Amino acid sequence: MRSLPLFAVLFLLSPTCAVAQHGQTDLARNPLLKNPEAVAAGAKLYGISCAGCHGADGSGGRGPNLIHALESSPLKDDELFSTIRNGIPGSDMPATKLPDDDTWRLAAFIRALTGPAVENEVPGDAVAGEKIYWSSKAGCSNCHAILGRGSGMGPDLSDIGGTRPLAIIREAIIPKKNDPSRNYELAGNEGVTVTLKSGRVIRGIARNRSNYSLQVVDQSGKLWLLRMEQVKELKVLDHSLMPADYETRLSSAEIRDLLAYLAHQSLRPGSEARDLEGPNQ
Amino acid sequence: MAALFAGAAMAQVRYEDILKGPGADWLTYAGTYQGSRYSSLRQITPENVRSLVPAWTYHVPDANGLRTSPIVYRGVMYITNSNALFAIDAATGRLIWRYQDTRARKRGVNRGAAILGDSVYFTTTDNYLVALNRENGSVLFSHKFADVNTGTTSTSAPLVVKDKVLVGSAGGDSGMRGFIVALSAKDGSEIWRKYTVPAKGEPGSETWSDLREWGGAGTWLSGTFDPETNTLFWTTGNPWPDFAGQPRQGTDLYTCSLIALDLETGKMKWYFQFTPHDVHDWDAQSWPMLLEAPWKDANGRSYMRKIVVHANRNGFYYVLDRETGKFLRGTQLIDNLTWAKGLDDNGKPVLIPGHDPTPEGNWVCPSIKGATNWMGQSYNPGTGLLYVLTMQACGLFTTSSQKPVPMKNFAGGGATQAGGQVILRALDPATGKRAWEYPMPGSGNMWTGVVSTASGVVFSGDDDGHLVALDGKTGRHLWHYYTGDDLTASPVTFEVDGRQYVSIASGSNVFAFALFQAGQ
Ligand code: HEC
Ligand code: HEC
Repeated sequence: MRSLPLFAVLFLLSPTCAVAQHGQTDLARNPLLKNPEAVAAGAKLYGISCAGCHGADGSGGRGPNLIHALESSPLKDDELFSTIRNGIPGSDMPATKLPDDDTWRLAAFIRALTGPAVENEVPGDAVAGEKIYWSSKAGCSNCHAILGRGSGMGPDLSDIGGTRPLAIIREAIIPKKNDPSRNYELAGNEGVTVTLKSGRVIRGIARNRSNYSLQVVDQSGKLWLLRMEQVKELKVLDHSLMPADYETRLSSAEIRDLLAYLAHQSLRPGSEARDLEGPNQ
Repeated sequence: MAALFAGAAMAQVRYEDILKGPGADWLTYAGTYQGSRYSSLRQITPENVRSLVPAWTYHVPDANGLRTSPIVYRGVMYITNSNALFAIDAATGRLIWRYQDTRARKRGVNRGAAILGDSVYFTTTDNYLVALNRENGSVLFSHKFADVNTGTTSTSAPLVVKDKVLVGSAGGDSGMRGFIVALSAKDGSEIWRKYTVPAKGEPGSETWSDLREWGGAGTWLSGTFDPETNTLFWTTGNPWPDFAGQPRQGTDLYTCSLIALDLETGKMKWYFQFTPHDVHDWDAQSWPMLLEAPWKDANGRSYMRKIVVHANRNGFYYVLDRETGKFLRGTQLIDNLTWAKGLDDNGKPVLIPGHDPTPEGNWVCPSIKGATNWMGQSYNPGTGLLYVLTMQACGLFTTSSQKPVPMKNFAGGGATQAGGQVILRALDPATGKRAWEYPMPGSGNMWTGVVSTASGVVFSGDDDGHLVALDGKTGRHLWHYYTGDDLTASPVTFEVDGRQYVSIASGSNVFAFALFQAGQ
């Protein structure tokens, strides 16, 4: 036995309350999860009953952006079921009173829409997308690495499909127009130009900074640990280094294929989905 | 002050660098391959340690009871938490990057990272070995080496030797089959795997009556390594079900043992079982420390003998021949030991009847936590002393009548713990004789090991949340700092820009200390 805190000792004394380690198969689980027909049927129901408030693509309107809402705090299957069935009392979110199977179909669609991209079939040609990703036209690898290839300066994309919904990945590449929040969420990703007192100039991303120290990764992936007394001038970019013009630089087919490639970037097989019932959540 | 950075071609951590042992950097879990948690740094001394002051504190998000021992290289500290690795600026405590595996299947403790080349390594609870670029955190690979559905989870810091990353297995309290696996440092692919419970028909399988395939013998603490003979030394955990010996009659090899393996092939060179047929959950997880000690041969001539020493949870301290595994000496690590009269000529315990778990329970000393545990010991060649945390405690061991069901946390009974006097002891490693001791108030909740330095300072924790500095020669108290919580891991020491730091990850924070410097 490894480290054994006292509560574990007490626990061992009552072996009858053994806890199952894995998600149980009980009624709290959506029986139609990842079932393609159910997801398609759910999409239809969504178009009829939900899109009016949550947007055809889930990006919100009178109701919240479901992708953002459920990415930051995912609902378990049973919670999603009861939200759809009963609505959210005291808000505009109405009860549907749909039968069980339709409710599960809708829930399966919502999970597909808001869950990691790798868990769903994504349109487009991933092989063609791979070529675009590594091309100089797109230049993605100047800033992003995948499994050790490419620059380690910007966010790593090795697991982007395994961790992010497709809509979020799309939004990163084709930002929403006039979204003022975009440039307020750059902590850890700020583009900087640092001129040292020694005369050396470093360009890169400040992974962290304070009035006293600065941690920069440059485009070659090299880390610079700096104290502010070494720094003559620090310029911080007021917008993301991530180019905002891919919608004009790449065709819509190219973007679709690029998204298909990114959706496949997953450190675990798609079947090994994050387990919302599991203890890690 | 110069900028700290790697040259255009990134500086690489080489096997030779790890072999040298801790100076400015701390490159492997136990500091050295020999397991000594000894550093050659001398800036902090017994004379000046009283002016040690906090340099920074880093709060690890979501952490509690951190078990990680920091790795430090070129001013960057790497610490782990459940399915997460953090790179921290070691001079300022500022986060540089963080990797979090959000899809890992469970939460659990993690004892730390390993480093080689430009990669840092750690394992997830569901048995992925993850390699990250040490400077920017980008993912190099994430390779699954075992299936959680076999009861195996991963908690220990990997051990890097040459081109291999050695990884242990945990989960022996709910049924699993222990192993050590050697994975390629380059891509995580498997080189060899050595099971610590033999398969049916293999040598050693005759020591089991049943339950072999769930027999336990986890390998959840990193091992040590002898570069001269290319041998790994690894300890193994308890047999399963922990407290019910009936379904697994026999000595249950290779549980509660020390095994010596060839680095290249994983072939077992020898084994030594400390607690045959354990029924008290006395895993052998505490380091097999490798050292040389003056010895007399048959003709009375003195020579330096290569030995491996080991303080065991069962209450005894062992000295073995490093090349053969032969038992040389054994002494009592603690005074209150009730289950055995002593050790026979082969190092086997001479049992006192009436100490096995029963439905009503039997009172046994030491307790389930043991006379010592995985907290790291330190051997200081300067003082010639081994510093080891010991605990005097007893407990009631019971059996239950339930049928054993693997992976249901069924331990076959239970145990309580009463008392819990923790004492840091300095021993002559060759004889086990006590040089000094430092008793602590508390109730036996601490998990802190020791680090000692060339200047003769011993850093450890007490059982009450204080990081303490003691004089390595005498055990005299020199300095302490209250961290505000039980201590859950071991301190390390390192140097950045010419300044020596002492650091401990504990509770939910990482603390770092250095000598007072005006205007720091
Ligand atoms: C009349 C507008 C409206 C319609 C139609 C509607 N919703 Fe909503 N929905 C809302 C509003 C408003 C909220 C936010 C409620 C709150 O928490 O204040 C919401 C919340 C939700 C949430 C919870 C999000 C979270 O943050 O956890 C889910 C899931 C959801 N809706 C799904 C659906 C589905 C599926 C449908 C179709 C069956 C649907 N909604 C139809 C307005 C609507
Ligand atoms: C000049 C550098 C640069 C280039 C070129 C670049 N990116 Fe980015 N990218 C960034 C930075 C910096 C961020 C983080 C800040 C942000 O989200 O705006 C980012 C964010 C992202 C994210 C979100 C990551 C996450 O974890 O949420 C994705 C996805 C992404 N980029 C994809 C791409 C793709 C695909 C390309 C090529 C078509 C590309 N990037 C080109 C710098 C770059």
